[in-house]
Amino acid sequence: MKVLKVSSWTIAAFVLPCLLLYVSLVFAPILVSVYNGMLDWNGIGVSKFVGLANFNKMLTNDSLFWPAVGRTFLLAGFSMAIQLPIALFVAILISRFVRRTGFLVSSYFLPVILSVAVIGQLWKTIYNPASMGGMINQILIKFGLESWTHSWLTEPKIAIYAIIVVGLWQYLGYHILIQFTGIQNIPADIYEAAKIDGASGLKADLYVTLPLIVPIFKISVVLSFIGSLQSFDLIMVMTGGGPAHATDVTASYMYNMSFLSMKYGYGSAIASFLVVVCLAATLLINLLFNRLDKRFS
Amino acid sequence: MSQSASLGAVKPAVQERGKRRVSFVKIIVFLFFGILLVTQLYPLVWLLIYSLKTNEEILSGSFFSLPEVLQWSNYTAALGGGSYWKYLYNSAFVTIVTMISIILLAALTAFAITRFRWKYGQFVMLLFLLGMMIPLQATLLPLMLIFKNMNILNTHLSLILPYIAFQTPIAVFILSGFMRTIPTEIEESAIVDGAGVLRIFSSIVLPVSVPPIMTVCILAFINIWNEYILAATFISSEKLKTLPFGVYSFVSQYSVNYGAIGAFLVLGALPVVIIYFLLAEKITKGMVAGAVKG
Repeated sequence: MKVLKVSSWTIAAFVLPCLLLYVSLVFAPILVSVYNGMLDWNGIGVSKFVGLANFNKMLTNDSLFWPAVGRTFLLAGFSMAIQLPIALFVAILISRFVRRTGFLVSSYFLPVILSVAVIGQLWKTIYNPASMGGMINQILIKFGLESWTHSWLTEPKIAIYAIIVVGLWQYLGYHILIQFTGIQNIPADIYEAAKIDGASGLKADLYVTLPLIVPIFKISVVLSFIGSLQSFDLIMVMTGGGPAHATDVTASYMYNMSFLSMKYGYGSAIASFLVVVCLAATLLINLLFNRLDKRFS
Repeated sequence: MSQSASLGAVKPAVQERGKRRVSFVKIIVFLFFGILLVTQLYPLVWLLIYSLKTNEEILSGSFFSLPEVLQWSNYTAALGGGSYWKYLYNSAFVTIVTMISIILLAALTAFAITRFRWKYGQFVMLLFLLGMMIPLQATLLPLMLIFKNMNILNTHLSLILPYIAFQTPIAVFILSGFMRTIPTEIEESAIVDGAGVLRIFSSIVLPVSVPPIMTVCILAFINIWNEYILAATFISSEKLKTLPFGVYSFVSQYSVNYGAIGAFLVLGALPVVIIYFLLAEKITKGMVAGAVKG
């Protein structure tokens, strides 16, 4: 197939600039992270090699670490249990009932393209106390539900859910779009064939759309899972992990340890953990869906 | 079609009822679409109204009311107090430089992977694929240390370099997926005509690869334009901040001038919203392509 036989110098000239930059800024830092994770170091002074002590402490003796990991999975759980099914439902409805889909789909998508910095600050304003112009609390007061008003982002028990709502809101349109495109790409003659076999409307959706959308749905699952594992910019903008670590997820905990508490070694250990979980999760999801795929075909 | 028509002739009542049921379902469905539209867009509309109110109007609790007089002064305050134009320029500069570099570097690499006869093409590809799973946050600390040693912390270069690095995997992936489909006959005839490798790349492969390059551009633009955490970690001087970080700093500085904060948030969202209005279809297509291929 490939016709160009060129000298290795040419290959190097084409590939190396990109590859070197990439390896030195993505792979090397990860390896450095793993090594730094074995240090007791505040970034300025002398570092001390402590072996696996940081990892040991992180996994067995840190009352903040596992709750943060738990919240990371809480984010992923909410996204998969609420956001993705709604998105799929909406996508099916749109492709069934709407002729000119452009306006609807791109309107739902609008929040996706905005920066987390803007979204986070916008929702912070929405969550503000009524006395500071917060929309939600003002609505509640208007309807006489004053007892329902909360200081949404500073009460430890509800702050994380307030943030989850924002995440679900922002990326709903993304998943709608992905799954809608997936449905659009299902060939029309399959539906025709299903119709002849007596499956139209809801039945066709159940027996044709759902099985055929599985590969696309997988993409949504991977995105939502990886997104949740990494999602911390929203948290950094809205609460910074507070109050008292109540909204910390793995990544924000890592950030706070590294950059605020200046525990470089310990922060690096958490970063390594994050990488491992990300890789493992992607592999696991792919494995699960491959099984699912086989069952349907 | 003909079947339903004949059915209608025999049992008009049944069809009538069926029709009414369909339209009833339709009303419910469109009501649902409408509610969803409001939830997705109302916060943004609310922000726009908010940004045109006086502090008193905002605090009065009538969240639904329109401002009595449009307070454009909020916008003057936002533009005057913050360095909006500077942030905008910085964002544009960083994004454009990054985008051009990504396209060049990724196109060269994709070309080599798909068109050259060499052993390690697949291995290089695998390396890039692996990189797509690595979370950017995990590299923050080591990158900061590296950049500190290189003395480029708190410069635009400290943003541009990692932005390029983190966008290349998907770019290489998309571009090589496309370049694989370009027929080799074109190259064969070009070789016969005596064209060199660079010439084949720049005047044959690159021009036909414009559609996937557009996709790469859109993905890179959305990701880099909106990126907050690297900018907030690596940049500290006011005059180098990009827009998302600038928005954050403005809000923390002007915490009681609610109208101006609203105005600054609107201004922060505006560039990308304008571009979205112009290119909505291209952007949604590009983002899906990025997701599906990633």
